[in-house]
Amino acid sequence: MTCVADCAAEARIDRTLVARALLGHDRRAFEQLMRRHQGMVRAQLRRLLHGDEAAADDLAQETFLLAWRKLDQFRSEARFSTWLHRIAYACFLQACRTKSWAARHAQEDGMEQLPAPTQAMDLQLDLAHAMRHLSTAEQTVLLHSVQLGLSHEEAAYVLAMPLGTVKTHATRGKAKLKTWLSAWHAATGEERVP
Amino acid sequence: MNSIHDDDVDALLRQSFDGPTSDAGFCDRVMQQLPPRRRSSAWPLAAGVLIGAVLCSLSLFNSPLWRAVWHGWLAGEWSSSTIIMLSTMAGLSVLALGWTLAEADDH
Repeated sequence: MTCVADCAAEARIDRTLVARALLGHDRRAFEQLMRRHQGMVRAQLRRLLHGDEAAADDLAQETFLLAWRKLDQFRSEARFSTWLHRIAYACFLQACRTKSWAARHAQEDGMEQLPAPTQAMDLQLDLAHAMRHLSTAEQTVLLHSVQLGLSHEEAAYVLAMPLGTVKTHATRGKAKLKTWLSAWHAATGEERVP
Repeated sequence: MNSIHDDDVDALLRQSFDGPTSDAGFCDRVMQQLPPRRRSSAWPLAAGVLIGAVLCSLSLFNSPLWRAVWHGWLAGEWSSSTIIMLSTMAGLSVLALGWTLAEADDH
């Protein structure tokens, strides 16, 4: 209940700042919007780019410049943060199509297509390893719907995917992670899952 | 078979997420790159309204109904055609006002 109220209040603040930025061409209002949301947008891009901070910050800059140019296209049907995540994801896809980054990481990903982990390891490392064995779509959906805290509907909007596809990827991804992590769980015989 | 549940996987995934990235001068760098916003010029809208009003007037002045309304209005006679025409204009004005308020609320 509190979360819903907080989210509604945050959305109202965003809408007010957008209106100020649009009507008065107020750069300070846009700066406030950016300060409120840059952290999650950059975190999203760092995850999508497998930790490449420089490339993520370049894309984040591109995202905010694009948001500034297209601010009048923002409709309040989505939260401002969700709209930004959508632009960021579109910038990421564009970068994958046009830059060598994708080829370099595809090669690295290819090298990591090993059998799923079965040995007992540190759980976080195991999870990170297991995540890399998920399909790109499953990783992307879990990033947005679990780690970034978006609802399935919002994830579908950001990723421009049908809602059913998002739900399917989330379910399959979690099922695979459960299976792989169960091996670790059984091997340690300890209850270390929070 | 699996002792790990969906909620556990969610919790693990959230734990492994570092959270929002700290600013570290990012916003200042982007603000320096921000181009000035292009002000949308108002003349196309004004020209459209003016042309529309002129065309509407021209077509109405040739209408016998409008002439009857105009003469009735000048003579202070509230004929049925005068009332219908004025009611229609008032109704359309209210609709336009409602539409404007709805658009303003969206923005």
